Amino acid sequence: MSSWIHVAPLVLLVGGGLFIMLADVFAKERPELATVTSVALGVSGCVSLAALVSGVAPQTPAFLTSYLAVDKMALFFDVVICTGAALSTLLAGGYLREHGYERGEFYVLTLFSAFGAMVLARSVDLLSLFVGLETMSLGVYALVAFRRASARAVEGAMKYFLLGSFAAAILLFGSALLYAATGHTDYAGIAEGIAAGADPRLVLAGMLLVVVGLTFKVSAVPFHMWTPDAYEGAMTPATTFMSVAVKAAAFAVFLRVLVVAFGDPMSMSEASGWPPALAALAALSMVYGNFAAVSQQNIKRMLAYSSIAHAGYVLVGVVAVFRVGDEAISAVLFYLLAYTVSNALALGSLILMGSKGREAVSYDDLRGVGRRHPMAALPFVIGVLSLMGFPPTAGFFGKYYVFNAAVHSGGGMVWLALLGVLSSAVGAYYYLRVIVVMFMKEPEKGQVLAVPMRSGYVVTALSIAGLAVMELGLMPGWFLDLAVQAAQQLVA
Amino acid sequence: MEVGLGEYLALATILFGTGAIGFLIRQNMLIQLMCIELMLNSVNVALVATNRFYPDNHAGQIFSFFVIAVAAAEAAVGLAIVIAFYRLKKTVETDEADLLRH
Amino acid sequence: MLSVYLPVFLLLAVAALVAILMFTLTSVLGPKKPTPEKLLPYESGSNTTGASHLRLSVKFYLTAILFVVFDIEAVFLYPWGSMFRELGWFGFVEMLGFLTILAVTLVYAWKKGALEWET
Repeated sequence: MSSWIHVAPLVLLVGGGLFIMLADVFAKERPELATVTSVALGVSGCVSLAALVSGVAPQTPAFLTSYLAVDKMALFFDVVICTGAALSTLLAGGYLREHGYERGEFYVLTLFSAFGAMVLARSVDLLSLFVGLETMSLGVYALVAFRRASARAVEGAMKYFLLGSFAAAILLFGSALLYAATGHTDYAGIAEGIAAGADPRLVLAGMLLVVVGLTFKVSAVPFHMWTPDAYEGAMTPATTFMSVAVKAAAFAVFLRVLVVAFGDPMSMSEASGWPPALAALAALSMVYGNFAAVSQQNIKRMLAYSSIAHAGYVLVGVVAVFRVGDEAISAVLFYLLAYTVSNALALGSLILMGSKGREAVSYDDLRGVGRRHPMAALPFVIGVLSLMGFPPTAGFFGKYYVFNAAVHSGGGMVWLALLGVLSSAVGAYYYLRVIVVMFMKEPEKGQVLAVPMRSGYVVTALSIAGLAVMELGLMPGWFLDLAVQAAQQLVA
Repeated sequence: MEVGLGEYLALATILFGTGAIGFLIRQNMLIQLMCIELMLNSVNVALVATNRFYPDNHAGQIFSFFVIAVAAAEAAVGLAIVIAFYRLKKTVETDEADLLRH
Repeated sequence: MLSVYLPVFLLLAVAALVAILMFTLTSVLGPKKPTPEKLLPYESGSNTTGASHLRLSVKFYLTAILFVVFDIEAVFLYPWGSMFRELGWFGFVEMLGFLTILAVTLVYAWKKGALEWET
C-alpha cells in the first residue's frame, strides 16, 4: 500500500485526463472542467505533500524501480508541479470563458503535460527522461497554439516547437552516446560506467549534448530564443503553466542528471567538467535576461525575459551543487517553489486586470490601473515584489538561499553570487517601473482603459498564490525543511 | 575485420549532423520537420547498434521503440502547427514568422 | 575491415553499370522520330488536364496522422506478444491499461468528428 501512494498522483492525473476527454465529448451539459482539473491536480499535490510530510519510507514498486525514482525529491516536485498546474487551470477557468476560448482540450493538455512533467522530475533513466520530456513538451506546444486563429499564437508555437524538438533531438543523441560509452541508460549505471573507465571522449560529448538539451528547456542563455515569443504568443494561463511547471520539471531532471550521473570527480572538476560551463551560462542568463527585460513594452515579454534571468539565478544554485551538495539542492528546490507561486501570482493578476477587448498587455494599458482598481492591482504588486526578491516575500528567501549556497561554495562562486545580486538590482528597476506606471501615471486621452474581469476562478487562484507567497516569505522554515530532506536523500 | 561500434557511431553522427545542418540552413518548415526526423532516426541507429555490443539487456532496442513512437507523436503535433501556420500565412517558410518582435 | 561487404558493393557497382549502359545504348542507337503526340505525357490514352503538381486535400492529413499515431502504438504490442507467457498476468494487465488509454483516445477522436470524411 505504502508503495502505491507514491505513484497515485501520476495515476490520478492520467485518469483525470481520460475522464475529461470522455466528459468533453459525451456530457450533454457543459461540465465545469476547470473545477474537475484543478481538483485532480490539487488532490495529487496534496497526496504527495502528505507522503512527503509523513515521511513514509518510500518503497518503490518493483516494476518502476529502474525508470522512475520514488524519493522525497520526486514528491517535492509533485507538489511544485501540481501547484503550478492547478493555479494555471484555475486561471484558465476564468480566462477561457471571458475570452471565448472555452474548449475541453486545454484542461486535457494541461493534465497530460503536468503528468509528463512529473515523470520527468522522477526520471532516473534516460528513457524515462526522454518520454517524460516529450509528453510534457508536446502538450505545451499544443497549449501555445491553442488560439489557432491568432497569428501570434501559431507563430510562437511554431518557433517553440521547432527549437524544442531540435533540442530534444540533441539531448537524445547525447543519451545515445552515453549509452554507447557506458552500456547503461540509467543515471546510476552511467556513473558506474564512467567510474569503470568509459571512453572519456564519448562521455564528454554525451554530457555536453545532454546538458545543452536540458538548457534549452530551462531557457537559459544562449538557448533562450524561443522563450519571449512562446510566452507572448501563448494565452496567459498557458504562459503560466510553461513558466512554472515546465521550468521546475526541467530543473529537477537537471539536478538528478548532474548529481547522479555526472557526480564523479572528473565531470565535477572545476577545470574540465560541467561547473565552469554552467556557471558561464548562469552569468549570461542573469545579465542578458535582466537587461533585455528593461526595454520591453509588453508585460508578458518583460516577464519572459525576467524568467530567463530567474533561470540564471536557479542555475547559480545548480552549479553550487558541486561544492555544497545538499545545501545547494535544497536552495534550488525552494527557489523553484517560490518562483512558481510568485510568477503564477504576477501572470494571474495580469489576467485579472484585463477583460475581453480591454486587455492589460502593455505598460500603457496598465497606466493608472492601480488607482482605478486597487484590489485588482494588489496581487500584481505582491507578485512582482516577490519576483524582485523583496522581503518578506517568497522570492526574497529563494534568492537568499541560492546566493548563500553560492557564497558557501567559495572561490569563483562568490563572484557569481555577487553578479547575481547586481543583476537583481537591474531587475528591481523594471519591476518597480511597472508599479510606478500602475500607480503614478495617468492614462492618455482616448486610450482604451483596461477593465478588470470578474471570475471566481481567477480570484481563487490569486488568493492561493498570494497566501503561498506570503507564507513562504514569512515562514520559509517549514518548506525549506522539506527541501533539505529531499536534497539529503538525493545526495546520500 | 568486423565493423565495430565506432563505425556505427560515425554513421549515426553523420546522419545526425546532416539533419542538424539541414534544420539550421533550411527555412521550409516541412523540411525542418524531416530534418528532425532524420536526427531522431540517427539516434535509433546508434541505439540499436550499441545494443549489439552490450547484449546483457535490451535497453537500446527498447529505447528505439520509444523514440519511434515519440517521433510519430511529435510529427503529428508539428504538422498540426504547420497547417495552422499555413492557414494564416499561406506559406510554410519560417522567414514569414516575423510578428513577434520586441 | 569492410571486406565482408565486398560482394554487396560489387553487386551495387554491377547493377549501376548495367542500368547506365542500357540507357546510354538505347538513346545512342535507337531511332528517334518525335511527333507532338509522342511527346505528350501518357495518361491512359486521354489528353492530360491540369497541372502535374496536384494539390491534395488537407483532409488527408488528419486521416494520415491518426493512422500513423495509432499504427506506431502497435509497435509496443509486438514485444509483448512475443513475451506473452513470460510476462504473465502482470504484462496482460499492463497492456490492458495501455490499450484502454488508446481506446479512450480513439473514442475521443471519433466523437470529435476527426474520422468524418465529409465535413
